[in-house]
Amino acid sequence: MIYGKIWLVVKPSVGVPLLLGAVAVSSFAVHYALLTHTTWLPKYYDGAAGRVAMATTAPAVAPPAAPK
Amino acid sequence: MSDPTADPNKVWPTGLTEPEAQELHRNIIQGTQIFGAIAAFAHLLAYIYSPWLH
Repeated sequence: MIYGKIWLVVKPSVGVPLLLGAVAVSSFAVHYALLTHTTWLPKYYDGAAGRVAMATTAPAVAPPAAPK
Repeated sequence: MSDPTADPNKVWPTGLTEPEAQELHRNIIQGTQIFGAIAAFAHLLAYIYSPWLH
């Protein structure tokens, strides 16, 4: 497989955590930027849309108790 | 104690043989492909169900 020889010069105990760490850090950075620079992602994480939907569909008063 | 550097199949500085390096690389590539496929599917769902890029 092409580039497989990289593991002859880069120790896997260094290269693999470095690779996975780079993926984790960069993906976290992108999603954090979305969280801080958009209006809809914080609302989504906050559950605001769900609460609004529940508030608009919930009955204004509790239904009367069933007769005994 | 045998000297590990005496093995002619091992390559330094890592001390892996070329077949070992290729096997490790195959697994890394396969893991990357599976991760990528799951991430692509997740981004498709995010595109459909969120205001992202709309």
